[in-house]
Amino acid sequence: MMMRGIAGLGLALALAAAPAAAQQKPPVKPPPKPAMKPLPGDTGMAGMKMGADTGMAGMDMGGDTMQMAMPIPMPKGMIMMPGLRNLLPPVTPFLPGEGVDPGTLPLARPSQLTPMKNGDTLDLTAMLVRRVVKGHTYVMYGYNGESPGPLIRVPQNATIIVKFHNAIDLPTTVHWHGLRQDNRYDGVPGVTQAPVAPGDSFTYKVHFPDAGVYWYHPHVREDIEQAMGLFGNMLVDSPDSNYYSPANAEQALIFDDLLINDDTLIPFGKEAPDFALMGRVGNVLLVNSEPRYSLHVHQGEVVRFYLTNTASSRTFNLSFGGAPIKVVASEVSRFEHEEMTPSVVLAPAQRYVVQVRFPKPGTYALVNAIQAINHFQGEFQAEVDTLGLITVDSTPASPDYARQFAELRTNRAVIADIDKYRPYFDKKPDKTFTLTIRPRALPLATVQFMNVDTAYFAPVEWVDGMPDMNWLSTSKQVKWIIRDDATGKEDMDIDWHVKQGSVIKLRIFNDPKSFHPMQHPIHLHGQRMLVVARDGVRVANLSWKDTVIIPVGSTVDLLIDASNPGAWMLHCHIAEHLGSGMMTVLHVDPR
Amino acid sequence: MLARNAAWLALLLIPAAARAQGGPFDIALFNTPQSPSATGQARLVFAPGVMDVAVTADGRARYDARVTIAGLPAPRTLGPYTAYVAWAVTPDLTQWHRLGAVHNGVSMVGTADFNKFLLVITAEASAAPEAHHGPVVLHGTSPSGWLQNFTTHPLFRGVY
Ligand SMILES: [Cu+2]
Repeated sequence: MMMRGIAGLGLALALAAAPAAAQQKPPVKPPPKPAMKPLPGDTGMAGMKMGADTGMAGMDMGGDTMQMAMPIPMPKGMIMMPGLRNLLPPVTPFLPGEGVDPGTLPLARPSQLTPMKNGDTLDLTAMLVRRVVKGHTYVMYGYNGESPGPLIRVPQNATIIVKFHNAIDLPTTVHWHGLRQDNRYDGVPGVTQAPVAPGDSFTYKVHFPDAGVYWYHPHVREDIEQAMGLFGNMLVDSPDSNYYSPANAEQALIFDDLLINDDTLIPFGKEAPDFALMGRVGNVLLVNSEPRYSLHVHQGEVVRFYLTNTASSRTFNLSFGGAPIKVVASEVSRFEHEEMTPSVVLAPAQRYVVQVRFPKPGTYALVNAIQAINHFQGEFQAEVDTLGLITVDSTPASPDYARQFAELRTNRAVIADIDKYRPYFDKKPDKTFTLTIRPRALPLATVQFMNVDTAYFAPVEWVDGMPDMNWLSTSKQVKWIIRDDATGKEDMDIDWHVKQGSVIKLRIFNDPKSFHPMQHPIHLHGQRMLVVARDGVRVANLSWKDTVIIPVGSTVDLLIDASNPGAWMLHCHIAEHLGSGMMTVLHVDPR
Repeated sequence: MLARNAAWLALLLIPAAARAQGGPFDIALFNTPQSPSATGQARLVFAPGVMDVAVTADGRARYDARVTIAGLPAPRTLGPYTAYVAWAVTPDLTQWHRLGAVHNGVSMVGTADFNKFLLVITAEASAAPEAHHGPVVLHGTSPSGWLQNFTTHPLFRGVY
């Protein structure tokens, strides 16, 4: 599928949603296996189906006979703790489309580029789809039969109408992540609207005041709905054709993961999220809902990548086989200064716009490369997952943007905009929050392990080293907490009002001494914010953001431009942390 | 199984006070017989960069260290030395990466990108030596180092 040219470039640009153009050449070498996989020998239980025929006496299955993958896959070299082997999370297992014959469902299509103008209307339906991942067929969700959902592309300052229909088996909403728009259409159940029941509809008016890359997803049971495929990108084009430095092609890439055991999806908790400690970390990594991404470019071409993480919990560390990466923008604006980076650290809900130049013919691997921690051996283990291959032929790029790529721009407009906020950088915090957790009635083995394993928690955990403990924890047993230091109030009990037009300094500390410290990607709806300091060190190169990583033990100072009236969620974007209460509301009262 | 139990036992035997005290960033520095009056601590901060956390392409954290020291004698009192220098050193002591010169008071040095490392301060003939030659005056362990107990190495008891 050919894309329209971008004004000012006059080029046919290929987006990731265009498989025919983007995936002509087969990969040159097989990808390494995912780093996390079941070890049948360790447990002797892999692939076992839960049900009346398991012959395991004494298991609390609540009388449910739904077939359930058991145990969950353990990472390489790890065994399920003996004290946890016969336990199940205290929830009813749930998977989309129970009792539906997958053969009756449409096969999910790749995301379709959906250009829209101011005033246009989009019909958007959340529905059951059939997805085939690595040869296995699953019943999952999609928007308009697509996975990811339609790639909405609009000019900056456009407003569109979205007629949303819920055809899935759960209540849902659509949240338009990162948009500073009318609070009534923010899609938060119980705060801005009632959930849309199965079979019902809701009309959203969606406004795009800032250029960049955004995304949409449900704000109901994200741990299920988003994980099962309800997400899509929105690209907002600046009227300035020179907004980004030039590129030969564009790709919108959504990074995600899926937790499966052989041919079975690991079920979700019907009444409450499971994996409440760390969030659900998948063992199959996906780019635009496929385990393998491929792209074919000419030598020396510059590709602009719009990167979005829609995973429930996983933070990615992405690089392109050594090809130089230039970061031009994050979530709600460009950076003051373009900057080279060795990799892109992408937490759930975060976005970056990067430009990558492929200087030599050959193959460049798009990888997620991390340091996992083996909590038993006390060792770091390097893990590399190949997510895709970029094949570079020897035809020279035309036009050749080598010179423009080498230049690191200073974005004067961004600096001038931020200048208005610099007088507030050193003000005393208006609000200080502490992030922590309160466990209740977790399995004894989990509590014992956590009490012993206190010597070190990584500032960022890249992968779930203890999925057995994690799986068994549900939001009934784990309360994740945003605590207001001034009042001691927690989560939705915090009564936080500010005047529209005020500039708020929010300091967030992630308590390393809690029962289970972990990084939290904190997202603020409907406003924009600057990360002005981390651990007392001023951040040198700023951009407006809506989601920020707060590492374990870190203190982060945020400057919030409270310009948009309404009731706006501030929450952790790890789906299971949100589902375990880690949220509050910022009320911006109209002036 | 035996080895794992031994590792657990070792972990439990580490004095609680010596373990990570303020989270994954704080390093307690210990003096040596060369410098019995010296005290110090270090706080790791992510190196400056455009991402929320600074890491290498293969995922290792990139830290600068804010080193706070008191009681170091003048370097020349220990020998032919003019400066104190901080190093990040791999636990097997095979790689020494110079972080920068430090002094009594607060010094910011960096960048360290080993998964686990010792933070070692030596007296040196210059502020930017190619390799370490002088005596160790202070040393500590990156919080990640507590994943494994290597604190009893004789090198850091003033014997080297
Ligand atoms: Cu969280």
